[in-house]
Amino acid sequence: MKSPVVRTAARFLSPFLFLSGLYFATHGFLLPGGGFQGGVLLASGAILLLLTHGRDKVIRIEENIDWFETIGTVIFLSAGFAGIFVGGFFFYNVLPETPVWCIVLDVVISLKVFAGILALFIYLFGIRRVRAC
Amino acid sequence: MMSKKLERVISLFLTLIIIIIVVNGLSLTYEDKADSPIKEYIIENHEETGAVNLVEAVLLDFRAYDTFGEVIILYIAIAGVIILGKEMRKDKTEDEQDQEEPIEDSKKPKEEKT
Repeated sequence: MKSPVVRTAARFLSPFLFLSGLYFATHGFLLPGGGFQGGVLLASGAILLLLTHGRDKVIRIEENIDWFETIGTVIFLSAGFAGIFVGGFFFYNVLPETPVWCIVLDVVISLKVFAGILALFIYLFGIRRVRAC
Repeated sequence: MMSKKLERVISLFLTLIIIIIVVNGLSLTYEDKADSPIKEYIIENHEETGAVNLVEAVLLDFRAYDTFGEVIILYIAIAGVIILGKEMRKDKTEDEQDQEEPIEDSKKPKEEKT
């Protein structure tokens, strides 16, 4: 996008979107919010940069988006399996009476939702082309 | 073939049944389930999870299965989008291979470099 007003506004707005996304994700155990909301806010900041500045600003995230998605799913699943070995059933709370469990799961979910929404956007809008096989 | 009058009567009947079901369900939900024992259980035991927020305690501890399902749904949605793009790309390359290739060649080295 060529308009300098839109580019400047997006550049000033996107750090606040990232910050509020991180805040929502890490304070989910204490306040309204949580992993999904934080992840969507993070993704909205990245999409704003992607729309206004092109791929160059978010190239590091955009290249590794599939890895973020997969790593988030694997960590979430392994947290579930850790409950089997510690407590006896799936998704048993490994660290009871401390908010660590909720914070870790929230951060993992926010990473996963961030990667997921951004990947949906990237693939549906044709920013990255799927190779025909 | 059914006559139009009969069709109308049947559709009106079905609409009435749906309205009755929905109203019945809503009234059940609000009157009988409002003070179920699960509410007191969650309020009493949410300190074990470490979460101060009750919603988060339910989402990540009592009902972590549900959150896991949501996460998997998002994963499957992205896999579906990628597969759909692949299929469309395959059709395109079969139809317009001569027109598409020069654009692809100019773009591909850029993507691989970065």
